[in-house]
Amino acid sequence: MVKTQPQSTFDPPRDDLAVHIQHLNYFFGAGDLSKQVLFDISLDLPKGQIVILTGPSGSGKTTLLTLAGALRRLQDGSLRVLGKELVGLGDRALVNVRRNIGFIFQAHNLFESLTASQNVEMAVELTGNFSSKRDQAVAMLSALGLADRVDYKPQSLSGGQKQRVAIARALVNHPQLILADEPTAALDKKSGRDVVTYLHNLSRQEGCTVLMVTHDNRILDVADRIINLVDGRLESDSTPNAFVHSKTQEAIAEVSADMFIM
Amino acid sequence: MIKRIPLAWLNLTHDRRRFATSLAGVGFAVLLMFMFNGFMNALYDSQLQLLNRFNGEIIIVNRLRTNMFVPRAFARRRLYQARAFDGVQDAYAMYISEVNWKNPETRKSRGVRVIAINPDEPVLNIPEIETYQQLLKLPETALMDTKSRVEVGPVEPGIISELADRRIRLVGTFTMGTDFASGNGNLLMSDQNFLRYFADRGPEEDKRSFATVDIGVVKLEPGTNVERMVNVLRENLPNDVLVMARDGDNGFVIRERNYWQENTNIGFVFSLLTSMGFFVGIILVYQILYTDVADHWAEYATLKAMGYKNGYLLGVVMQEAMIISVLGFIPGVLVSQLLYTAAGNATGLFFQMTPERIVNLLIATFIMCLVSGAIAVRKVQTTDPADVF
Repeated sequence: MVKTQPQSTFDPPRDDLAVHIQHLNYFFGAGDLSKQVLFDISLDLPKGQIVILTGPSGSGKTTLLTLAGALRRLQDGSLRVLGKELVGLGDRALVNVRRNIGFIFQAHNLFESLTASQNVEMAVELTGNFSSKRDQAVAMLSALGLADRVDYKPQSLSGGQKQRVAIARALVNHPQLILADEPTAALDKKSGRDVVTYLHNLSRQEGCTVLMVTHDNRILDVADRIINLVDGRLESDSTPNAFVHSKTQEAIAEVSADMFIM
Repeated sequence: MIKRIPLAWLNLTHDRRRFATSLAGVGFAVLLMFMFNGFMNALYDSQLQLLNRFNGEIIIVNRLRTNMFVPRAFARRRLYQARAFDGVQDAYAMYISEVNWKNPETRKSRGVRVIAINPDEPVLNIPEIETYQQLLKLPETALMDTKSRVEVGPVEPGIISELADRRIRLVGTFTMGTDFASGNGNLLMSDQNFLRYFADRGPEEDKRSFATVDIGVVKLEPGTNVERMVNVLRENLPNDVLVMARDGDNGFVIRERNYWQENTNIGFVFSLLTSMGFFVGIILVYQILYTDVADHWAEYATLKAMGYKNGYLLGVVMQEAMIISVLGFIPGVLVSQLLYTAAGNATGLFFQMTPERIVNLLIATFIMCLVSGAIAVRKVQTTDPADVF
């Protein structure tokens, strides 16, 4: 009996999707020690959407983010990023996929020895535009409100400014997909708000897709869509209002008199 | 115009104090290598100071004289025989003996080497011989080497002391340096005076005369083929003497150097010390590079996430290795130069910093830093950008 290829059950590529995940399983470790962290994930992110990925810690959201960012090798299922199938790709090919993705981390990860502009230029150099790199970097920093901080080194910038430089570095090559991991976690309320607002505006202007992992309830409203991941499975996929509503309902339902007995 | 951001340079120089410490560390390793290498070469080079001053292309010695230490003379007739050949301009005699010199201040006797020549003949390339030519012809006079060890006492014209228990007067000085065979210093005198002191020193000592010569220096006419002339003399002179070119791979100077290389532990000891300096350097540089990579781990991982390949990061670490090797080498050389002068003055040994030796140690420093870099980049290679999240 001829066994059908697993790939044949997957849908064909679609141009309108930035990320197209079908039946994705992911394991940490190998052999007897392997532990499954993602179970049969299927998820479509249309171009231009801002999606927040949330869920309790250990639910696999960061893993999903690194998989979409071509930072890990994949064996099982199908994961298409910007039209490119990542499952089965080698390290070298993954590096090339990454160049079309913007990464924003919880920490800014800027080189202390480089100025804000130089840190951003490091990203431009990947594209080979050496003559215009300074102009591109300055333009992107200005768009993030840092025109007067272009030649400052990170140590003389505030936390929010540093994170904005990191965002400038992620966006300067106009990637079509931005992956952000808790970009506001290290910031106070106002700086966090500013950072998210800039991210929101830029993604609207550039029409790029944003996938953001966050625990920060204060910024849920910028999202078009909120995906909740629990124990490696998709639990819900809703609009921010519905999500907040469901969470508040749950919260109220959970309150009981036991809480107040000490 | 392609101009990359010099990440390696900026990372290294960002923390000035750490950068200075790094350079000092590399410089110290370079200094260690220079000093040990310098002592080794000084011990070898010093043996050749007299040999390099022989004013002739061909040297004749007793076949049994395997190095300058062996007190074997040969018949002076051989020099007269050598003079008969076409192409030989002259053949000079040199007499050498070891004897006690009394320090005029402490009254203690110390062994010195006496070199005797005819002051009218240009046997040695020592300009002072011509300066003091007439004074050397006076009885019981000599020149003392200014680089003699301090044990011989004050070295200046007018000093009157005892040589082989006889009165001697220093009429001047010259500058050469000591070696293993010279004892505490060198004394230069005329052949006539040599006879006065050494013709008859008592029943236990060899009686010296003009009949035997320690070293024969053969001066060729300009344009004569040295190698051919060596062969001619070898074939025609009796084989109680050894005829050698002064320079060249099979020459007298190299033979002397090889003798000391093969018959002493100098090479082994100092090569070992030099390589220890080398390994200290590897560890120091590795520490510097590893600290840089470890401190910037998240940044390097971010670069990888952005799409930089391992090759670029390896390049950064290797560039850092090159930069500190070259910049650390410069202070290392300069300080070594000072210490060479100081050590030369203290020991009378001949410390020489030739361009070839500098280049050799620069290459060693390069290799040192590349090895450290190669170990340190493993840390970068294993950096996984997925771990930054």
